[in-house]
Amino acid sequence: MTEKVGAIGSSIPRRGALDRLTGASMFSADFRLENPLALRAVRSPHSHARVLRIDTEEASRMPGVARIFTARDIPGKNLTGIINKDRPLLVEDKVRFVGDPVALVAAETEEAAERAAGAVNVLYEVLPAVYDPADALANEAPLIHEKGNLLFRRRVVRGDAASAFSSCAVVVEETYRTSFLEHCYLEPDAGAGWVDADGTLVIIASTQNPHYDHSEVAALLGVEDGRIRIIQAATGGGFGSKLDLNMQGFIGLALYHLQRPVRCVYSREETFIATSKRHALIMEMKTGAGKDGRLHAMKCRILCDTGAYGSYGIAVASRAAVHAGGPYEIEHVDTEVLCVYTNNPVAGAMRGFGTPQVAFAHESQMDLLAEKLGMDPFEIRRRNALRVGSVTATGQKLEASVGIGECLDAIKESYEKARSARSDRGDSPFTCRGVGIGAMWYGIGNTGMQNPSTAQVEIDLDGAVTLYTGCADIGQGSTTVLAQIAAGTLGLAPDEIRMIVADTKLTTNAGATSASRQTYISGNAVRDAAAKLVDVLLTEAVDLMKVPKNSLAVEGGFVVYKGDTDRRIAFSKLAARARRKGIPLRWQGYFDPVTSPLNPDTGHGEPYATYAYACHLAEVTVDITTGEVTVDRVVAAHDVGRAIHPEGVVGQICGGVAMGVGFALMEEFKPGVTASFKDYHIPTANDMPEVVPLIVESSEPTGPFGAKGVGEPALIPTAPAVLNALSDALGKRIYHLPANLERVLEAANKRG
Amino acid sequence: MRSDVRYVRPSSLGEAVGFLSDHGPETKPLAGGTDLLISIRSGELKARYVMDVNRIPELKGIAMTGEGLSIGAGTTIAEIASSETVKRLAPVLRKSCLSFGSPQVRNAATIGGNIANASPSADTFPPLIVHETIAVLSGPDGERRIPVEEAAAGPYKSNVGSRELIVRFILKPSEGRFFEFLKIGRRKTLAIARVSMAVLAEKDMRGAVGFIRFCLGSSTPVPCRIVEVEDFLTGKILNEAVVAEGGRLAAEKMIEISGRRSTTVYKEPAVKGLFNRLLYPMVKND
Repeated sequence: MTEKVGAIGSSIPRRGALDRLTGASMFSADFRLENPLALRAVRSPHSHARVLRIDTEEASRMPGVARIFTARDIPGKNLTGIINKDRPLLVEDKVRFVGDPVALVAAETEEAAERAAGAVNVLYEVLPAVYDPADALANEAPLIHEKGNLLFRRRVVRGDAASAFSSCAVVVEETYRTSFLEHCYLEPDAGAGWVDADGTLVIIASTQNPHYDHSEVAALLGVEDGRIRIIQAATGGGFGSKLDLNMQGFIGLALYHLQRPVRCVYSREETFIATSKRHALIMEMKTGAGKDGRLHAMKCRILCDTGAYGSYGIAVASRAAVHAGGPYEIEHVDTEVLCVYTNNPVAGAMRGFGTPQVAFAHESQMDLLAEKLGMDPFEIRRRNALRVGSVTATGQKLEASVGIGECLDAIKESYEKARSARSDRGDSPFTCRGVGIGAMWYGIGNTGMQNPSTAQVEIDLDGAVTLYTGCADIGQGSTTVLAQIAAGTLGLAPDEIRMIVADTKLTTNAGATSASRQTYISGNAVRDAAAKLVDVLLTEAVDLMKVPKNSLAVEGGFVVYKGDTDRRIAFSKLAARARRKGIPLRWQGYFDPVTSPLNPDTGHGEPYATYAYACHLAEVTVDITTGEVTVDRVVAAHDVGRAIHPEGVVGQICGGVAMGVGFALMEEFKPGVTASFKDYHIPTANDMPEVVPLIVESSEPTGPFGAKGVGEPALIPTAPAVLNALSDALGKRIYHLPANLERVLEAANKRG
Repeated sequence: MRSDVRYVRPSSLGEAVGFLSDHGPETKPLAGGTDLLISIRSGELKARYVMDVNRIPELKGIAMTGEGLSIGAGTTIAEIASSETVKRLAPVLRKSCLSFGSPQVRNAATIGGNIANASPSADTFPPLIVHETIAVLSGPDGERRIPVEEAAAGPYKSNVGSRELIVRFILKPSEGRFFEFLKIGRRKTLAIARVSMAVLAEKDMRGAVGFIRFCLGSSTPVPCRIVEVEDFLTGKILNEAVVAEGGRLAAEKMIEISGRRSTTVYKEPAVKGLFNRLLYPMVKND
């Protein structure tokens, strides 16, 4: 297949960037509907309580109230969830967290809806609640779901870890903890909807997965698939939270009954209370190495607090288990992850699915081992880094594109310079400086599960090409990248590709925008569709030009003869010729990465077709008198296989570093306490370090033009690098994130 | 549920005070709105009227007068931060204004609102206190003058009467002295201070502390000047040991006022540490 130089690897203007800049983009809350009703959920004030009675009578009679819905009004199946279905749209019998919705008000104005929501009278019988995952597993613990509080267990076993520890020269054993986090996307959840003339319920959504929304809404309402249409509006970030059905179900329910336009817009406070959080993890890690620094054994026990409902908990537990060892070869592994229900807020998907948490633990372990061995932290990583031919903990042999060594090498010079410069105390006797490395690996796509993508490419009789993809661009730039991949395959310029995106009436399923999968998986589906079209055009050209197919190429809207580029035929002519013969001009592409499910007992299998690798170097300055930390510089090397859009990769890296600084130093969602940005701190521009992105391209043979993904990897190594740098500065390690003022000052004062 | 309030906008001080004398107890003055709008939106504000004081000329302006450096209560934090007069005569106030909130907050928030809101973490409180500032209030019985540290009765409780308005502040100007304002936040900007401090100091001919005013913020119910620390340091040549003892005294006084709380575990060493940083330049310059 030919490759259009220029389409791939060039940082063309992003699709929709001008609309964002001028304010022309329509977000879900921006749609102006005719006389819409406002929706407002009535939410539980209790974390665990039986619902004895919901009295809506008085509230229903309030001015402006159109109707108040409860679980009884849901015509289909009142149970949602992308992996396990355990979450009612509206609670029937009991609430399981503060914020669980029990009723939904539709009213003429926001104010009327809010007033009526406050007037709905719910009689609760408060039940004992449990907030700690270890407590939730105890025999006498209150049952949150009938099937028990253990949602899922994932084991990954390789070799014989228990006996391997005895032959290790050094062993370190520590417990690491992380906190719940809020995603803090710029655009709070919003949606709107109306009923089309043909009866279709049209839902405008701020979503990462329109086709999942579609099937879920159809099931809730018990209607035919064709009666629902989900259109993704411009979406201001998601980071995993907009993978859940946050309000599309509410909108569908109101449309179904009222047949009137509706809108639903969360305040930031409601987003905080209602939507998912990053899982808080407790990780006990034991790691052993030989004198030469080679890792021999790891034992890992993880408790994963998924809160009231499953959401993506199973995926987080599985991925945490697979990635627990880090991007290193370890012969003997014994990992168990338990994913546990509590009465905390629902924990779901958030950029990295458990990998950011385990990376904090495994990278701390690497530094501790290096310290015990008197070895440089860089050296111990370089010695153990995965390479082509390595076998992972799940027994998967890595065949290609294993760029962790290259990533480490890419930061080596910066690392050595930073290490030799850090002993300068700087300009204050109250500060000290530290340098740390964090490395990671990340499997692209869902863990040991099918996760296909589809796409269509169509040429019209003028030779113009349209790409249809269900892939939701939530700000990461997939629409641009997919246009580049189509253009690169068809020999066109990316702006010549017309894009129809994320509308379930017009596009087919591309799966979720999650797991860093869209460039690799949807990119391959697009490439497949485009390649089929190219083949039709070349075949027609062979017929006309009387030359072998392999002597032809596509370029600039023509099929050209490579031996004499003046000999060429326009796409439009070839398309017309194909049409006359009844050959389709619209082709379907499909890609599902080759994976195998993990064995339930051993965790063996091939969970991902390819992995991304990265390593960050962080330089920090710590004020030892106050605990204030400044991250001065992050050098970030990422093996992305191939950067289809290098500026997009750089953007992901810079954004990932920002999120990583927050994860490392300040972000913490305290259930029942944290209400809004007033008490939840994310980094500002002033908290950002200088970021030096280094793109490593260890080409992935199965990727589109060699590409993998970078969305989540961009975040993952930052916190480990910052924590290792803090430890380097203080001579004292912090095992609990965030490393906030209190924890840093405590560590500083303990260093003696 | 948003507070249901009526909006009034007087155009002179007389008009404002007149309205307050009739409706003071059910009225909340609105200046920059950076605190008030939050409580209107959340419904916490229990007032019938919101009185916009932004068009009252008497509340504006920065000038050196016979009484001292006068700063109108309606002056925005950004205006103070960019004032040449403040830079010369009250640089410690300028420094606190430069790190106040964010640029957007500084453009809206006023110094009068910051003091009237009576947050323990109000950034302008410590600098005003070290400048021994007088708050000039206007009410139905005319003008009343109080030391600025008496403007707050407790966290978010003001001593400004419901029928009174803060008109301006009169600072004792301080030119050429050592000054510093420091605060600790959970991030570099847009963070409520966990601990803050302001100092004005001067050495005498011997090199000992001849003059010092010190105020601790965010650590006690009302930001407070700590005279014990000032007395201890006055007459002493500053070295690391002396400053460390001063910090210990400041922390001790904080615990005496606030009691031991869960936050004391952090705040006690942080007050000591920040105090060392505060006066370090005076030690180093010897």
